[in-house]
Amino acid sequence: MASKTDFENHCWADVVSDEDIRTYAPYARETYVGENVGLLVIDLYNLVYKGGAKYPHELEPDFPNSCGIYAHDAIEPTKRLISGCRAANVPIFYVTAQFNPHRVNSTRRVHLPMVAHDCEIHEAFAPEPEDVVFRKERPSAFFGTPLIAHLNQRRIDSLIVCGESTSGCVRASVLEAHMLGKHVSVVEECCFDRSELTHKVNLFDMHHKYADVMHLEEVLDDLKTRVEEKDKIALSA
Amino acid sequence: MNKACWDDFLTERDKQVFSQGGFGAIAGMGKRPALLIIDVSYNFCGDKREPILESIKRFHNSCGEDAWNSLPHIKSLRDKCHDKGIPVIYTTGIVRDDGWDKGSWAWKSSRTNEDVNNGAPNERDSNRDGNDIMDEIAPGPRDIVIRKLKPSAFFGTPLMAFLNDLGADSLIVTGTTTSGCVRASVLDAFSNNLRCTIVEEACFDRSQASHAVNLCDMHAKYADVVSINEVLPRLEAIDPVYNLPTGSPLK
Repeated sequence: MASKTDFENHCWADVVSDEDIRTYAPYARETYVGENVGLLVIDLYNLVYKGGAKYPHELEPDFPNSCGIYAHDAIEPTKRLISGCRAANVPIFYVTAQFNPHRVNSTRRVHLPMVAHDCEIHEAFAPEPEDVVFRKERPSAFFGTPLIAHLNQRRIDSLIVCGESTSGCVRASVLEAHMLGKHVSVVEECCFDRSELTHKVNLFDMHHKYADVMHLEEVLDDLKTRVEEKDKIALSA
Repeated sequence: MNKACWDDFLTERDKQVFSQGGFGAIAGMGKRPALLIIDVSYNFCGDKREPILESIKRFHNSCGEDAWNSLPHIKSLRDKCHDKGIPVIYTTGIVRDDGWDKGSWAWKSSRTNEDVNNGAPNERDSNRDGNDIMDEIAPGPRDIVIRKLKPSAFFGTPLMAFLNDLGADSLIVTGTTTSGCVRASVLDAFSNNLRCTIVEEACFDRSQASHAVNLCDMHAKYADVVSINEVLPRLEAIDPVYNLPTGSPLK
């Protein structure tokens, strides 16, 4: 949970003008993680880590799909988010790209040939047997997938979202979750894009229109409280 | 269930297959149902009780007397839900004045142009817009009406989002036609992992065989087909807190 006064205390502060922040003042509110929440991990597949922790423009000739340093910087925070969710028994849903040489592309980029390994989830985030893993071919994790059925089955009313790219599949999925009436918390440090500007402005947009953009520490604190509550109930039982 | 309405249509072998295949188990009602009333409009009931072959002269989609037999049951379910604060969601059709959005409907029925009313009395000799919901069960201020173009109540509509907003986890399904929009909606609900209870007396079709066999199929695979006498007491037992519309304009 973050207070109303911290509403604009986010990474976009250096790219959004004071005038624009004033325009959006009426949107300020307390942010929070929903009650019966699930974690949605979007497109953390090998392709976006290729070439190592360099800037995407340096990687472009050989690895045009890599998010380079932005992807690598998010590895540790994302690992912490996932283990925090596991500890709090938050169900985890991984979505990754469908490998198919003839697939419908989820962006309009010119593609280099891909291999199946490119679409597998990065080893740092290997799913556990109790997690749900599914594939998609379009930006939104809901489009043409059974995600909403999974959420309905477990009565999940809200999502924590992490992954990439902020402006692409993260935004598309957050928008659709919002349209379906789900509360969404996007974890700032656990999302990334090829471009820092795009990352920041898309977080800004989502925060004001569709979701609560939250810092990793805020989300982890919330999850920790849930573990403590659970332990208290277990002790008193 | 005692003798089901589809029993007369099935062969002995069919009955054995369903029973030995484990079909038709009872899924249960869910904890927070919403009532769905599908397309109970003048188009599907006609504007008076008359035999179906008379009724379809003016309302080509009419289900005739079967519709009028279901109306009191739909009304008692609706009234019970109002009493209990259980959400009531209606669907009905919508069509442009020029009929363009009839789309695929026009491929299969030669009389779809009659559905386009231009809001004025037409050859039907009725001033009803065929998509108006029947006066007998007219929606109240706290009910939700969803306009749709296609069979499923979910297709191209905000229904799933509304159910989430309401905090509903399941549907009580009524309306028409059993083989058309009811079945399409139940299938989508099932695919979305929502439990469906179909109230047998509150669903109707223009074809008796289709009504029975579609109820049979849905009971086998997707939903519980239950008599209204069992559903009403179960609704009574629900102690709901839903985020219902207030029904009053915002101040």
